[in-house]
Amino acid sequence: MEMYLYIALFAPFVGSLFAALFSASPKTLIAGIVPSALLFVSFLSSLVLLIHAMDGNTVHVEMMTWMAAGDLYIPYGFLVDQVSATMMMVVTIVSTIVHIYSIGYMDHDKSFNRFFAWLSAFVFSMMILVMSDNFAGLFIGWEGVGLCSWALIGFWYHKESATWAANEAFIMNRIADLGMLIGIFLLYWSTGSLQYDTVFAQIGSVEIAVVTTIGIFLFIGAMGKSAQFPLHTWLADAMEGPTPVSALIHAATMVTAGVYLVVRANPIYDLIPDVGYFIACLGAFVAMFAASMALVNRDMKRIIAYSTLSQLGYMFVAAGLGAYWVALFHLMAHAFFKALLFLGAGNVMHAMNDELDPFKMGGLRHTMKGTFIMMTLASVALAGIFPLAGFFSKDLILEVSFIEHHYILYTMLLLTAGMTAFYSFRLVALIFHGEERYKLFGFHPHEAYKYMLIAMSPLALLAVIAGAFKMTYFEMVTKVLPMTEYHIHNPTVYWIMTIGTQLFVIACILYAYRKYEVAKEDKKMEENIGYKILWNQYYIPHLYDEYVAKPYQELSRIFWKDIDMKVVDATVDMVANVFYKTGEKTRGMQNGNLSSMLQWMVVGLVVMLALAAVYSIATSLVAG
Amino acid sequence: MDSILTILIFFPAVAGVLGFVVHKDSIRAYGISVAVIEFALSLVLWMGYDPNVSGMQFMESIPLIPEFGISYLLGIDGISLFIIVMASFFTMIGIATLGETKRIKDMIITLLFLQMTMIGVFASLDAILFYVFWELSLVPMLYIIGAWGGPLRIYASVKFFLYTFTGSLVMLVGMLFMAYFYQQATGVWSFSLLEWYRLILPESYQLWLFAAFFFGFAIKVPMFPFHTWLPYAHGQAPTIGSVLLAAVLLKMGTYAFVRFSLPLFPDASVFFMMPIAVLAIIMIIYTAMVAYAQEDLKQVIAYSSVSHMGVIILGTFALNVEGIAGSVFLMIRHGVVSGALFYLVGVIYDRRHTKMMSEFGGLASVMPRYATIFGIMMMASVGLPLTINFVGEFLSLLGFYKQSHIMTLIAGIAIIVGAIYMLAAYKKVFFGDVTKEENKNLPDVNKREMLALIPLTIVAIWLGVYPKPILEPISNSTESIVQLMHDKAITQEAKERIPNLAEEMTISRTSTQEAH
Repeated sequence: MEMYLYIALFAPFVGSLFAALFSASPKTLIAGIVPSALLFVSFLSSLVLLIHAMDGNTVHVEMMTWMAAGDLYIPYGFLVDQVSATMMMVVTIVSTIVHIYSIGYMDHDKSFNRFFAWLSAFVFSMMILVMSDNFAGLFIGWEGVGLCSWALIGFWYHKESATWAANEAFIMNRIADLGMLIGIFLLYWSTGSLQYDTVFAQIGSVEIAVVTTIGIFLFIGAMGKSAQFPLHTWLADAMEGPTPVSALIHAATMVTAGVYLVVRANPIYDLIPDVGYFIACLGAFVAMFAASMALVNRDMKRIIAYSTLSQLGYMFVAAGLGAYWVALFHLMAHAFFKALLFLGAGNVMHAMNDELDPFKMGGLRHTMKGTFIMMTLASVALAGIFPLAGFFSKDLILEVSFIEHHYILYTMLLLTAGMTAFYSFRLVALIFHGEERYKLFGFHPHEAYKYMLIAMSPLALLAVIAGAFKMTYFEMVTKVLPMTEYHIHNPTVYWIMTIGTQLFVIACILYAYRKYEVAKEDKKMEENIGYKILWNQYYIPHLYDEYVAKPYQELSRIFWKDIDMKVVDATVDMVANVFYKTGEKTRGMQNGNLSSMLQWMVVGLVVMLALAAVYSIATSLVAG
Repeated sequence: MDSILTILIFFPAVAGVLGFVVHKDSIRAYGISVAVIEFALSLVLWMGYDPNVSGMQFMESIPLIPEFGISYLLGIDGISLFIIVMASFFTMIGIATLGETKRIKDMIITLLFLQMTMIGVFASLDAILFYVFWELSLVPMLYIIGAWGGPLRIYASVKFFLYTFTGSLVMLVGMLFMAYFYQQATGVWSFSLLEWYRLILPESYQLWLFAAFFFGFAIKVPMFPFHTWLPYAHGQAPTIGSVLLAAVLLKMGTYAFVRFSLPLFPDASVFFMMPIAVLAIIMIIYTAMVAYAQEDLKQVIAYSSVSHMGVIILGTFALNVEGIAGSVFLMIRHGVVSGALFYLVGVIYDRRHTKMMSEFGGLASVMPRYATIFGIMMMASVGLPLTINFVGEFLSLLGFYKQSHIMTLIAGIAIIVGAIYMLAAYKKVFFGDVTKEENKNLPDVNKREMLALIPLTIVAIWLGVYPKPILEPISNSTESIVQLMHDKAITQEAKERIPNLAEEMTISRTSTQEAH
């Protein structure tokens, strides 16, 4: 089994190196095919490991030492248990599909080879993240995905907005990473190790206040990667990257790393339900907050990004309330349909020459039948309609909050589900239905390559059937995660809730269709203050720019020009000048003139005598 | 093997003297061969070093002035070993990749003398010998900046010389007092560091002596607020000067903290720990912000170098094995990464004769190899895991976390501000469109430059992925220093702050016995 583990882990790395070999040469198809094939190999190995894990086995290897100093010992250790096997499946499935899709999508790009080098490097980092058996190894992957995300958001580096967004993402993540690092330090000094098994065995004997601090700091780390409020702004800006990147990194895998961390650290969070409750509240808030911004946005990719953010909020609600397996299940289902949605959006962008405003589209269902079907499927799944994946995973989170008696959270999530349905179908209606407005703008849309659609189809299939695996999955992951089943015992309540939710969601979908089938610019609505707030993303990016970035820049300038130059350095020069000037001034004394020398000698003598007198008087006084 | 340290120190000097008679055309080949032999010798030293012994190795001792206990005492441990290897490595690639330089003969001879003083500092165990090499190292550097520097070179070199020299004089006074106290306590004079280690001083004496040494070391590091000579020196120095200054000469200060201040004055180290940590934090954040405001690429690297030195100081004053081992490791990393970054700035300066970032933009498409190597080094500087910086930074901060949670949290801002100025600089130089006509046809990194950059890149990644070969000896030697400090400490606070490793070992041994 160890062999499969190493293959699953290192195949993407080999693929990345292979593509990197060609990074300086012009586009070669092989630089895309080999990494994709290697990823497929990685997927097969992960599948073997998953089957192995389903039987209740785990694989644990220690490759070699990484750091050892004093009592600290950190190896490169890898663990495949039921949780990491699930994550590995999600990562390898989505990334294999995205790789194959990208061969078509990046077809005309001159940096084709470089793209695959980074994309595979990302998968490798992500695999390290989910497979590590200790927090330091997790941190390697954590920062590694951050690096790859930076390189891929800024992939078109001649675009100012792209490189800006890349740096923003990296720096925002770094802020959170500091929190994570502090959490790791605290773990080390309170348990003496960073290995998951040792830490989780020891954590029970650590003071509860310390555990709380650890939980908070680790969650700060999770907030950065999973773009939770207030560190969320980078995710929408990250849409500057190529669309396959958004599908893989900013929807399916990297952004869910925060959820994975909380799920992985469940023995810690189990001890501190208050922190968990806070996580759940923040999650519910973000779910609603992000969904509200998606309602009015006019950028196709940003709408999907906000939707991702919103769904991450759902996952945190589940994780925070202790329903770790539910969180992980929604993570998995969401990865499938959200990646599908993004890839579909990529097709639309290609067809429309990178136009992102859905108001300039419309009626595309005639020319892009395949994409239309898949995006609609993904949207239905996202909205949570029976029997697609979203119904099983998302509605479960609603039930969890209901069963745990958090009715406010439940109401928030229910409303958000309605909003989700609305903005998803607003997008579908604007892009695929109604008049063919694109003709006004002179676009000539065409369907994507056939094999791109074929590459997407496994995701479509999974978006439909993933819910069916719920029980198998439940039995598997609860070998490591707390086994709590969430059932509403009263059948009447259960049916009212389920059917009620479905009806509410369907109503929202219909409303969206009705409103946007004929896309009118609603001037009156746009004047509305609420619309303006949402349109400007609650003015938060503006706020950050105005009150964080600019003052930082200004302060840096002041530190340099005014403090470093005019205070610190000037003081040094002043000291030097005092010596220099004194020498300059007193040079006249040494003029070699005998009479003036004698005069100075007399002065010196008087001073010495005076000093001697003062000294003797002082000593006699002290003695007396 | 007995006198390998002497050979390492004086071989370049002798070769330098002989260099005067070598013909101008063959001086480059001559210099390269000397530097390669020297590097090979330092590798022999590494091979011969026994990593399991934590004390001094390759000791040599010849009395010089027996009446005052001054002797020619050499020896290395895991801490100095790697700085010596790094010094000879950098001199080698420095000479080998020296570009078109006027008066190249003088330059190579100066570099060889500089190498003697650098290795001398790190191998000396006698305070006077140490002081002599310490001061001598200023002369070649003064010459390099003053003779080959930019327009402000005279101001910069005089400032560099006088500033550090003033600090060292205060340090010398401290050394004399230390020897005097030793004579008072034992009746004999000695400047041997190893004998000084055995002397337990009252706390009040320690505080004064610590302050005297601190002044000398802090200017050399340079610590805030004594850092302003450094941007001038870097700004004016030629590339090779900046590389050696950043990679090796600055390490003298941090090395001296570990070698002198901590084991000689454990109580004073604990007493001054918090004020120094505050200075270190100011260094980290303040200089990082100053670096962000710079317009000149080389100044960004210069200030970033100061900022990283702050983490080294913080790790040193964590006073536990994790922290000190981390800070010594960071010294190596700082050498590799800052050296490489200065070298990279030199590459672009050779082509365009400007270092202003506004003159560039879009270089990623013009010089892809250059952009890649710069990118790797930038990420190493930012402290990405699996690069050399992360290991040191992680250990240093981890170590200091034991002493103060809140201070480490503030110092940890280093990883944020570091990313801000580095990414901003990289974006300005490499991203965007090529706007300037002159930049459109810049040649990419050539073979000679690759010769310097490829090994540095390999080291930066190799030691990040697998730091064990050098972290283990460093950690072993650090353990003996920490133990020495704990044993010597007299105040209650110092006993608590500095861990007792011997006790921990017995505890863990008994607990394993119980388990059996």
